[in-house]
Amino acid sequence: MPVRFLRNASELADVSWETPLPVQVTNARPVPADTLLVATTTVTDANRDLLGSTATELPTLDGCMQYRKLVWFYFRSGAAATTYRVLARATDHNGAPLGAGWITLATGTLPGEANTWGRIEIPASGDGYYDQYRIEVWRTAGSNYDLTSKIVGVR
Amino acid sequence: MSAERITRREMLKRLIVAPVGAAALATLPVREGSAAALQPYYEPYFVAVLWEGRTRCDSLWRSLKGDVVAILPTVQGTTPYDRLYWTGYALGSAPVNVNMRVLARAVDHNGVPLGNGWRAIGQAAIQTPPQRWFRVEIPEGHWDEYRLEVRSATPRLVYSRVIASQGYWKE
Repeated sequence: MPVRFLRNASELADVSWETPLPVQVTNARPVPADTLLVATTTVTDANRDLLGSTATELPTLDGCMQYRKLVWFYFRSGAAATTYRVLARATDHNGAPLGAGWITLATGTLPGEANTWGRIEIPASGDGYYDQYRIEVWRTAGSNYDLTSKIVGVR
Repeated sequence: MSAERITRREMLKRLIVAPVGAAALATLPVREGSAAALQPYYEPYFVAVLWEGRTRCDSLWRSLKGDVVAILPTVQGTTPYDRLYWTGYALGSAPVNVNMRVLARAVDHNGVPLGNGWRAIGQAAIQTPPQRWFRVEIPEGHWDEYRLEVRSATPRLVYSRVIASQGYWKE
C-alpha cells in the first residue's frame, strides 16, 4: 500500500522521489549575531579603550573565539580628529594570552563628523576568530567628546 | 507519481484507516533539497520577511510604510541579518522613476538609538519601463533598524517586500 501525505492543504500525494515527504533541515543553523558591548566613551587625548581603560594589556572584549567578525557601530558627538586602533590576540585554555602585546588589525582616523554614525568591520577582510580584542580611541586635536559604541559579534 | 484532491474529512478517514508505521518511515524516500521549498522561510530558516505592502509615492520622502516621520524605522530587530533585499513592482503605465534611499542606525540594550538621526547607506533612482520588477540589495548588514524611503515626482503606487538573510554560508 503506498504511503501518502497531505500536500498543499487538500491534496494527497504518494511518497516518491518526485514528491518526497516534507522534512525540516535540522543541521542548518542561522547565524546569530550577538551584542557584545554597548558603551559610551569619553574620547580624550589619552589612549583609552572603549571601556575607558588606559591599561594596554586589558581586553575590551574577551571570549570572542566563536565570532567570524565583529561589527562596530558608533555615534560620535564631536568632530575632533580621532585615531582608532583595533588589536587582537589569542589565549590558552585558561584564558591567559599566549604572549604579551597584541596584533594590530586596523588603525586609522575614525570616520565621521559631529553627530554622525559609523560602522567598522573587524577585521576588514578575512576572518576573525581571535579570543580577545582591544579597541582604542584617542583624539589628536580638538576637544573631548562622547563616543557611543555598539559591537555585534557575527558567527 | 499520483495525486488526487480530497476533502479534509476523507483525508482523516484514510489516515485513521491506514496509519503510517514507524518501521515504514525508516525507508521512505526523502530529499533534503525539498525542505527549503516546503517550509516557511521565517524562523527557524534563515531568511525572513521583514515588511510587505503598498506604498503611495509622492514628492515627499516617505518610509515604505507611508510615514514622513524621519525618526521612525521601517524595519526593526534586524541585528542578525547580513543583508536585506527589497523587491518591488510599480503600478502605472508611465515609466518608473522613483528615488529611494536607505538609512540605518543601531540601538542600545533598551532599544534606544545610540544617537540622533541615521546613517545614510545609499541612495539611488529606480528607473524602469512601466510595470517591471525592481530589486535593491542592501549589503550593509547587522544594523538594528533601517528606514527605507521613496519619493517620486509623479505619484506612484509601489508594491514591495523586504526580506533579510542571515547568511549561513561564509562568502
